[in-house]
Amino acid sequence: MIPLENFLLLSAILFALGFYGVLARRSAILILMSVELMLAAVSINMVAFAAYLDPERFTGLIFTLFIIAIAAAEVGLALGIVLRVFRERRTAMVDEASSLKW
Amino acid sequence: MLDRLPLPSQFDRVIMVGGAIVGLAFAPVLIALVVLLVVDQISAPELVFWLAFTLIVAGALGAVLLGNVVHAAMSLVVTLLGVSAIYLLLGQEFLALAQILVYGGGVTILLVFGLMMTNAADDPVVSDGSQKPFAAGVAILLGVIFAAGLLDASWGDSGATAISLQQFGARLFDGFVLPFIIVGVLLDVALSGALLLARPDRPEPTSEEAGR
Repeated sequence: MIPLENFLLLSAILFALGFYGVLARRSAILILMSVELMLAAVSINMVAFAAYLDPERFTGLIFTLFIIAIAAAEVGLALGIVLRVFRERRTAMVDEASSLKW
Repeated sequence: MLDRLPLPSQFDRVIMVGGAIVGLAFAPVLIALVVLLVVDQISAPELVFWLAFTLIVAGALGAVLLGNVVHAAMSLVVTLLGVSAIYLLLGQEFLALAQILVYGGGVTILLVFGLMMTNAADDPVVSDGSQKPFAAGVAILLGVIFAAGLLDASWGDSGATAISLQQFGARLFDGFVLPFIIVGVLLDVALSGALLLARPDRPEPTSEEAGR
């Protein structure tokens, strides 16, 4: 039997890696990929808690399903925006789209 | 040099080289785990867990560190499939399937398309921002805080309970019908909006058309 702590450790590592990616990357799409890593980390946490601690109601599983659906919507919409920005400015780097930075 | 492997006409070469590197890197891990299994130090589920753990962490490292954006995307696929293995290990077969279908298939394809139309169109190798050391510090701090907090609490020692598809569906459509419908509408609106945003601008009507 695998202790619950193993899954929690995995999710903490994965979340930290995704967070690093969000802060360090410049390409908007690579930032999106790092956000996916963070979402996966949270999903692992919720599924592990649901399977270990709440197997009667398992609300965490339902939430994970919603996370997957909303992440798909988020990626689709964000890619639309990135493509738009790329068409206007010929760049997909977030630090070059700085019109609002004064 | 690896960053400069040609794209995408020789995509199969990228996958072959990447697969060879991954295989060589993971052979020691696999051998060590099998030895531990044989001498009865770990059980078979734990073997699978540590394999998936290695895959997920290595894939995530590749996804945030690799310079070539397409290689980073391939690395992300490894991580997402590893997460699906974790779901299977926890007994959640439906989520594992949804993970492979939605992430391993749809989301990754979308991301790769996005990369091809933006970064990879000019140069697949991107440099990271100047705040890398700061980012590493904050991420390590965050990870340590999370790990310490999560491991500090005592969660009891119950095992994972597998939840069948029937139970899952009954619970989803019993208690979460409204959120389910809202998510459906959200997906519709978001994807229509994405289409609207990404659509090329209409060309200006010519004078002939305008006069008609």
